[in-house]
Amino acid sequence: MKKTSLTITGLMLVVAFLWSTPFLWTLVASFRPDNAGGINMASLVPDYVPTLANFKEAFESGDFVLYYLNTAIVAFGILAAQIVTISLAGYAFARLNFPGREFLFYVFLLQLMLVPPVLIVPNLRMVVDLGLYGSLLGVMLPYFASAFGTFLMRQTFRQIPRDFEEAAIIDGAHWWQVLWHVLLPMAKPGLVAFSLVSLIAHWNEFLWPLMVLNDPKNQTLTVGLASFAMGTEGGKEWGLLAAGTLLVMFPLLALFAAFQRQFVDSFMFSGLKG
Amino acid sequence: MRWISLLTASAVALTSTLMGTSTMAQTKIDFFFPVPVDGKLAKELQRLTKVYNDSQKDVAVTPVYSGNYDDTKLKAQAAAAAGKPPAVALMSANYLLDLKLSGDIISLEPMLKADGTTREKLLSDFWPALHGNAIVDGDLYGIPYQNSTPLLYYNKDHFKEVGLDPEKPPQTWAELVDDAKKLTKEGRYGFQLAGGYDYIGWLMQTLVMTNGGRFYNEEYGGEVYYDTASTLGAAQFVEDLIFKHKVMQQGVLDGGAVSSNFLAGKVSMMLLSTGGLSFIRENMKMAYGVGFVPKNVRNAVPIGGGSLVMFKGLNDEQKQAGWKFIKWLSSAETLGGWSRYTGYFAPRISSYDMPEMKEFMSKNPDAKVALDQLPYAKPWTATYQTVAVRKALDDEMQAVLSGKKKAAQAVKDAQKNADALLKPYVDQTAMKLP
Repeated sequence: MKKTSLTITGLMLVVAFLWSTPFLWTLVASFRPDNAGGINMASLVPDYVPTLANFKEAFESGDFVLYYLNTAIVAFGILAAQIVTISLAGYAFARLNFPGREFLFYVFLLQLMLVPPVLIVPNLRMVVDLGLYGSLLGVMLPYFASAFGTFLMRQTFRQIPRDFEEAAIIDGAHWWQVLWHVLLPMAKPGLVAFSLVSLIAHWNEFLWPLMVLNDPKNQTLTVGLASFAMGTEGGKEWGLLAAGTLLVMFPLLALFAAFQRQFVDSFMFSGLKG
Repeated sequence: MRWISLLTASAVALTSTLMGTSTMAQTKIDFFFPVPVDGKLAKELQRLTKVYNDSQKDVAVTPVYSGNYDDTKLKAQAAAAAGKPPAVALMSANYLLDLKLSGDIISLEPMLKADGTTREKLLSDFWPALHGNAIVDGDLYGIPYQNSTPLLYYNKDHFKEVGLDPEKPPQTWAELVDDAKKLTKEGRYGFQLAGGYDYIGWLMQTLVMTNGGRFYNEEYGGEVYYDTASTLGAAQFVEDLIFKHKVMQQGVLDGGAVSSNFLAGKVSMMLLSTGGLSFIRENMKMAYGVGFVPKNVRNAVPIGGGSLVMFKGLNDEQKQAGWKFIKWLSSAETLGGWSRYTGYFAPRISSYDMPEMKEFMSKNPDAKVALDQLPYAKPWTATYQTVAVRKALDDEMQAVLSGKKKAAQAVKDAQKNADALLKPYVDQTAMKLP
């Protein structure tokens, strides 16, 4: 008994190490003085006097403060709008009775099957027509509705027994009061899980912001990082690349560390696999 | 007193703003550019654009960093389809044919005519090897901006160590193999090719050309010559370097990995773009030299790099503004400065007559070798569906590098796949018979 649990722990440690190698390498490489690649560039061992030169160069190569701000506006702005739309849509599909409800729901889910690049031109055309080309709102707009979020909220609402709502209705509550005071508080784990997925997706998104944004003042982190990661014809400045990557992922990492318990709990609750 | 001067100042400011908008509206245009070499180039292009914006009042250019060459193509085409074409875009030089066939870019001939000049006059100052990729079906579609050729980089310290003359890099494939064998030892390979997408295709074209071949039909976008003796010989040579002579690492290494290995002394010779020259110069700790790409039959290299193009769907003001900006960006002076900053060679011949350039060339003899190789340069492969047709060979060559396929089979399969991709165009052109 004791032996098997030890084996399992050992195996888990090995897997955890393998999974974290890219991150460890990034961490080690970002503080390495020889940024273009010395003999030990691939090493995971920090066999050097650490330097902040790579971070300094990263900050000089891109306006990171601006990129953080823009990315935060995009990622949190999308999330704020999504929470409203998916709660209302999820409620409608879970609780309201109207003809064609199931059919509409499945049509809605079809959106998940579409590969995003297919939508680039039609979405961009719409963004241009609305006069939002080049703006952060233009980046956010297509994501205001989310098929995945609607699906998740519908499932979450359906799991909540109707007794709670009925009690509220007897007390004279309107549907929006039921939603706000009864259903949403109980659906919090689902919302937290969705928020995490949404934030990570939009924080890391590259192609769509690249399509919409033009002005360097509106650039997001991923596009800013790409400008010093794409050097294919010359060489790669690995140290700079590693430092830039760390800068991009740091806020998400901090967020996850701070709210780790809630995230894991909400995933357990909603039955989502990470 | 102070409020009077303040009032006057604001009145003047107001009048000039009103005048400015009413008499001479500033034309705002977008300039899409990729960064294929080094991140700090994005900053430098933004700085250059600012210099231009400050130098005149008619045109305001927004510099838009747009990923790599493929991303830039995608972004520019999507923007054009959505009604916001970039007035100027820096495009991979070999995409011009494809973009012309798809109707995305416009001919620059009307602008030349309005300036009272001709294509011949303009191009006479650009290196002859660059003309082929700039002209499509007899019209000028792009102005070369940053260009490169492949170059042999070698580690002089390693040469000395094994008793080779550090001033004599290998001139032929046979010498390359001999030298590489001497240089290869535990933990070090004698030679390395970059095997990443795009790069391997470009280097294969290089080897095929030095093997006497043409690789593609320069006059017609519907043919590539993958299943030929010259291509088979080149592919077999690559296979032999790894599996017979054992002087090159097995597997697919991208350009960044190859140059890192070279800097670390893990590989003694490599084929890399002249576009990487500044990067190697700044970061190499050991003594290094550069030489022509070794030949089997003849000296020859393809050009690489990017040209400035204009997209369709622009109004007249935007067209004129874009053309004005292109002329400024492609002046001998701007091109010379960009060349010194990046390591690309300057596409204009007259850039090299300028004093700053003469001084730079005398200080950096390695840049001179890249220039000396230019008379042997030829256009870069450009066909209908260039990217996919090139990838047909890239995929097969990567299989050869990994030891999954034999060269003879690889070139046959590459030809078959490329022909299938070219067929729609061939059916519309060469096979459309009366």
